[in-house]
Amino acid sequence: MTSLRIGIDVGGTFTDLVAVDADGRTLFAKSPSTPQDPSIGVMAGLDELARRHGLPLGEMLARTERIVHGTTVATNALLERKGARVALLTTEGHRDVLEMREGLKDARYDLRVAPPAPLVPRRLRLGVRERLRPDGTVETALDEASLDAAIAAIRAADVAAVAVCYLHAYKNPAHEIATVERLARELPDVYVSRSSDVLPQIKEYERLSTTVVNAYVGPAVRRYLTNLERRLRDGGLAGNLFIILSHGGMAPVDEAGRLAAATVLSGPAGGVAGSRRCAQLLGIGDLIPFDVGGTSTDISLIAGGEAALSSERGLAGERIALRSLDIASVAAGGGSLAQLDAGGGFHVGPESAGAVPGPACYGQGGAAPAVTDANLLLGYLDAATFLGGRRPLDLAAAERAMDAMAERLRLTRDQTALGIHRLINLKMADGIRLMTLRRGVDPRRFALLSFGGGAGLHAVEVARELEIPRVIVPTVASVLSAWGMLASDLRYEVSRTHVGDGGAMTGARMQDVFAELERQARARLTAWFDGAIRTERSAEMRYGEQVFEIDVALGDIDWQAPDLVARVEECFHRRHEDLYTYASRGQEVVFVNARVAAVGAVPTLEHDPKRWTPAFGQDHARGEVLRPDGDSTKNHPARAQREPPAPDGEAPATARRRAYFDGWRDVPVHRMETLAPGAAFDGPAIFEAETTTVVIGEGDRATVNELGWLDIALRSSLSPA
Amino acid sequence: MSSAVDPITRSVVEHRLSSIVTEMGEAMLRTSYSQILNSSRDFSIAITDTQGRLVAQADHIPVHVGALPWATKAVEERFRDVAPGDVILMNDPYHGGSHLPDLTAFVPVFDGETRLFWAVVRAHQSDIGGSTYGGYNPGATEIWQEGLRIPPIRLHEAGRPRDDLVDLLALNTRNGRDFRGDLAAMVGAAHLGERRLGRLFAEFGGATVMDAVASIFDAAEQRTRAIVAEWEDGVFEGEAFLDDDGHGRQDLRIHARVTKRGSDITIDLSDSDEQSTSFVNSSHANMQSACMMAFAFLIDPDIPKNAGSFRPVTVVAREGTIVWAEPGRPVTMCTSHPSNEIVEAIVKALSQSCPARAMAGWGRRFRIALQGEDPRTGRSFIWHMFHARPGGGASVAGDGWSSIGEWHTVGGLKFGSVEFAEARFPLHFRRHEFDPDSGGDGRHRGGLGVALDLVVETAEPALANTAGDGARHGACGMLGGHDGRPHAYRLLSAGQPPRTLRTKEVGIAVRPGDVFEVRSGGGGGWGPPSERSAAARARDVAEDLVAAQGGA
Repeated sequence: MTSLRIGIDVGGTFTDLVAVDADGRTLFAKSPSTPQDPSIGVMAGLDELARRHGLPLGEMLARTERIVHGTTVATNALLERKGARVALLTTEGHRDVLEMREGLKDARYDLRVAPPAPLVPRRLRLGVRERLRPDGTVETALDEASLDAAIAAIRAADVAAVAVCYLHAYKNPAHEIATVERLARELPDVYVSRSSDVLPQIKEYERLSTTVVNAYVGPAVRRYLTNLERRLRDGGLAGNLFIILSHGGMAPVDEAGRLAAATVLSGPAGGVAGSRRCAQLLGIGDLIPFDVGGTSTDISLIAGGEAALSSERGLAGERIALRSLDIASVAAGGGSLAQLDAGGGFHVGPESAGAVPGPACYGQGGAAPAVTDANLLLGYLDAATFLGGRRPLDLAAAERAMDAMAERLRLTRDQTALGIHRLINLKMADGIRLMTLRRGVDPRRFALLSFGGGAGLHAVEVARELEIPRVIVPTVASVLSAWGMLASDLRYEVSRTHVGDGGAMTGARMQDVFAELERQARARLTAWFDGAIRTERSAEMRYGEQVFEIDVALGDIDWQAPDLVARVEECFHRRHEDLYTYASRGQEVVFVNARVAAVGAVPTLEHDPKRWTPAFGQDHARGEVLRPDGDSTKNHPARAQREPPAPDGEAPATARRRAYFDGWRDVPVHRMETLAPGAAFDGPAIFEAETTTVVIGEGDRATVNELGWLDIALRSSLSPA
Repeated sequence: MSSAVDPITRSVVEHRLSSIVTEMGEAMLRTSYSQILNSSRDFSIAITDTQGRLVAQADHIPVHVGALPWATKAVEERFRDVAPGDVILMNDPYHGGSHLPDLTAFVPVFDGETRLFWAVVRAHQSDIGGSTYGGYNPGATEIWQEGLRIPPIRLHEAGRPRDDLVDLLALNTRNGRDFRGDLAAMVGAAHLGERRLGRLFAEFGGATVMDAVASIFDAAEQRTRAIVAEWEDGVFEGEAFLDDDGHGRQDLRIHARVTKRGSDITIDLSDSDEQSTSFVNSSHANMQSACMMAFAFLIDPDIPKNAGSFRPVTVVAREGTIVWAEPGRPVTMCTSHPSNEIVEAIVKALSQSCPARAMAGWGRRFRIALQGEDPRTGRSFIWHMFHARPGGGASVAGDGWSSIGEWHTVGGLKFGSVEFAEARFPLHFRRHEFDPDSGGDGRHRGGLGVALDLVVETAEPALANTAGDGARHGACGMLGGHDGRPHAYRLLSAGQPPRTLRTKEVGIAVRPGDVFEVRSGGGGGWGPPSERSAAARARDVAEDLVAAQGGA
C-alpha cells in the first residue's frame, strides 16, 4: 500500500471519511458524530477506515500523507451560543458599534420582538483612549492609563478571549499591536483576536463583528484542533493535518486556530469543494449544488468551474465579513411541517419536525405531516429501505398524520401529500432563483447537482420549476463533502484598504500595493507548503455614490500597462454590467480594497469512481455489493417484486412499486449501484442508493454516465411539449 | 370563504405571488442606480388588481404598504384603454401619489385579452426638481416649489417607449443620469413581474388565479378578524403632536378616534388640526397608508399585507386637515411626518383595546444635510446624515431596540460606516455611541438614541439644512411607560454660545472646526416604571444605559 490521503467531514448525524491511495483506490467509512467532542467520532471513523484497509490504525496513520478535515466546532459554538466569554477593547466614544448593527433590523412588521443580545455585553465593551485618522496618522496617541483601566476591568471579568478593534486600524495597526502586546504580557492565557490581523479592511462594523466572532469561537476551535492533532500524532500520523476554511481552501491547524471565524462554514465548504470537483470530472463549468437535509436546503453556485465567493455573509445573525463560499440556506427540508393557519392558509415550513420527534413516519410521536411523510405516501420513499434499511419508516403513522391534515383541508390523502411536495419544491426553487439573480446569472444555463440525503427526491421537480434542463446525481452524493475536501487547495488571503490614502490611485502605486500583498501571501504559504504557488489578485471597488463594493477578479490584467488604472477600472465597469445590467463609465470609481490569494495546488487526486467502495455494509468487495440479487430483495418485502431484465437491453430494475406521477403508476425502482454506464431510463422511475432516492417524472430521461452517476435530461429540454 | 379553488392551489398561487414580488424587489435592488434605492432600499413592490386591490406586496418600507392601491385607482380612473406593453408613470400626491419624490411605475398584466393585474414599482428619487435638492424644502408654501408633478402618464405606448417624455422628466431633475437609471430599473423590475405573472396565468388560467386571489383575500381577512375580535370593543382616542410646521405654528395635533366593534375598526382622523402652509401636510394616499401601517404593526407580523387583511379597517378623514391637505399644498415631509404621528395616535388609541399588542413610540426623523468643500480633494460634497438613529419603542416582548430608526423605517435603513464617512468626507466622528438615559422608562425601557459629536473639518465655511421633527415631542410611552427623550441637536462653534438646531432650517452657516452635537431621541417605554424588575434596573446601570438616578 502506498501513501494515503484522508478526508473527514463531521456532519450533524454522521462523520464521513474517505481515503484515497496513490492508485486512486477509494474507501469510505461512516461513524456516528459525537457533538460533545467531535474528535471521538473522528477517531472511531478512522478506526473503521483502518479496519477496511485491513491495517492497524497506527499503521494507516503512519502511511497517511495528509488529512483534510471539515469541522463544525465554530459553527456549533455560534449557533448554540456556547462560545467564549469575550471582552472588547475599542476606540473610546465608539463602544456600541457591535450592538448598533448599522441600524438594521429584520422582520419589518414585527415590532414586538426584543433586540438580540450582542456577543459581547456593553459592560465588557471597553473604550480605550486613542484615535487614528483615515490616512493612518495619529490623532490621539494610545493612552496607557486608559489601557491600564481596561485591562484591569478585563482581569476582573474573567474572560477567555479579548477582541481588539480600533477605528482605522486597517490603515495603521500600531495601537492595536501595542495593545495586544500588553495583553500578552498581562493576560497570557486569554485568546486574543486583533482586527488588523483578522480582517484589515475599512468598515468598522464588519471588521469589529468579525473580530468578535473570531474571539468568541477561537478558544473552542483552537482547543479542539490542538487535541485532535495530538491524538492523531500520538496515533502515529506523520503527515499534515489541514482544515477546510469557509472560502473552500485549506490551511494548517495553527492558521485555523488563529482565524477561527474562517471555519464557520468549514463543513459545507467540503460539499462545495466536492461539487467543484464534480464539475471538473463532468467537464461542466456551471453547476448549482443543491443539498437537501432534514431542516434546510443549502444552495451554492459554481460558475465557470469556480465556486462563488461572498463577503456578505454571516451566521446566526452575526456578521462575518471574511470571504467565504456563497452558500444560501433555505428553511426547507425533509422535516419541514405542513400547517394550517387561522385563515385556512396552508403552509409547509419553515417550522421543522427536527430530529425529534421528526416526521410522523419516524414513529416518534410526530403528529403533523412533514415533507418526508408526503414523499413516503407518494411512493417516492420506501418504508423498508430508508437510509439503507437502518431506519424503517412507520407508514401507518404517516397515513394518520396526512389523513388528519387532509380532512381539515377537505382533500384526499394523495392531494394533500402532493400539495406538500409541490409547495416545498417551490420554496427550494425560490432559494435558487434568488441566489442566481443576486449573481446576475440565468439558472437555465446551469445544471443542478443533487447531493445530500433528500435532494434526489426534489431535484428534478425543482429544476423543472426553474426551467433548468439537466440534473446530475453523483453516486456518492452522501459523502461528497469528505471526498471534495481532498480536492481542495491550500489558500491564504491578504487584503489592504486603499481608500482614504488621499490622492488618486496611480498605476505605480497599484503595482506596489499588489506586489507587497503578493509577497506577504507567498511568504505565508511557503511556510505551509513546498509545492508550486500561484496567486489570484482581485479588488473591491465601487462607484463614488454607492455604499457597497463589488469584488472584481484581476486575472487578465497586464500589470505593466501604462494605463493600468484605467484597465482595472474597466474590469470593474464590466463586472458591474454583469451583475446589475449597466455600467457608469463617466462616474468616479473608488478603489477600496486590494486582495491577493496565494493558492498552493495539491497534486490532482487520482480518481477512479469505479473503484469506490460504499460507506455502509460489511467488508465485502465491490462485486458482492453490486450484485443485484442477494440481500437486496429482503429490503422490499411487501411492495417489491423482482423483475427480469428488460428486453431492450436496459439494465434490470430491482423492483417496482406504486408511486404518484399524475396519478398512481407502477414504476421501476433501480438500485443505483447496479447501473451500468451507458444505460438509459425513461421516467417515471425511481433510483435508490444507500442514503438517497432519486425520482424522475414522465418524459424525463436518466442516463448513467461513465462515472456511474445519473445524468438526467428533463422533458421540456427534450421536446417543446 | 370562497370555495372555487382548493387550499393547495390557493397556497401555490399565494406562494408564487409572494415569490414574484420578492424577485422584483431583488431585481430593483440590483439594478437601481442611486444610493437611496440600492442601499437605503427606499422602494416598494406590489401587485394590484384592476380594482386597485393590493394582491401582494414585498416587505420593504412599511410607509408604502397601504399607498399603492390609491395610486392604482388614480391610474384606472385616468386610463380606460390600457393596452399590453403600456407603462404608466405617476407621482402626484393629488393624483393618488404620496409625495413627489416617490415615483411609481405600473405595467399592466393580461391574461389573453383580459387585463387582470398591475405590476407596480415605487421608488424614492434622489431628486425630483423643485427649489431644493432632494425635494425636502422647509420653505415651500405650495407644491410647485417641491418638484415636478407627474399625473398618471403613459410612458410606454403598446411596447413603444416615449423617449421624449423621459427626456422631459430627466431634464427637470438635477441628476438626469441617476433619474434615467433608476427609472429603467423600475420599469425593468415591473416587466419582470409581468413576465412571471404571465407564466402564472399560463399555468393555472386567469380565472383560477383570480379565484385563488379572492380566496387569499378571504383567508387574510379571516385571520385578521380573528385577531381583532379578541380586542376590547369601544371607542378609543389617541393623539400625537408635530413639534411645529416651521412656519410659525407649534404643536400641530393629530387625533385618532378609533371605534372597535366586533372585528371591525373605524379610524377617524377628522378632528386633527387644520392643514399647514408648509411641507408637514399629508397627502390623502399617505394618510391612508399610515393608517394601514399602524394596523399592520398591531396584527400578527406574518399575516400577508393585502386587500383582505385591511378589509376590517375603515378610514375617515376630512380634507383640509393636516392629515389630508387640499390640492396645491406642499406635502414632501409627509412620509415621515406626520406619518409617524398618525401611527402613534392610532396605536395610542388602540392600546386601550389591545394593550399587549400596542408598542411604545419609535423615534422621529431629524435629518441634517451638509454642503461644502473637502480640503483634501478640493471637491464639493453633499453629506446626508443617516447616523445617530433614534431608539425604538419598547413592547410586551422587552426593551426597545437602540439606534434603530423611526416608525416609518423600523430598522430598514442602514447608516453606513463611520470610517468610510471619514475617508470620503471632511468629517470627524469624535463620538458615536448610545446616549444613556435617552430611552423612556417603563416596565420595558425604550431603546436608546445616539450621542454623536461630529467635527466639521472643512477649510472654508459650509452650509447645513435640517428637516424633521421630534425635538419637542419624544416618542410616546405606552401604558404608563414614559416618553423617550426628544432629539436635542446643537451646533458648537468656537467663541459662540451653543446654538440649538431647529428641525426645519435652511442655510445654517457652519464654520471650520464646528461641532454638531447630535443627541437623537430614545424610544418610548412600555408599562409603568414601577413594574420594571430590579434585575433589569441593575443591568441598565451596569451597562451604562441609565445613570444611577436617571431615566427619561
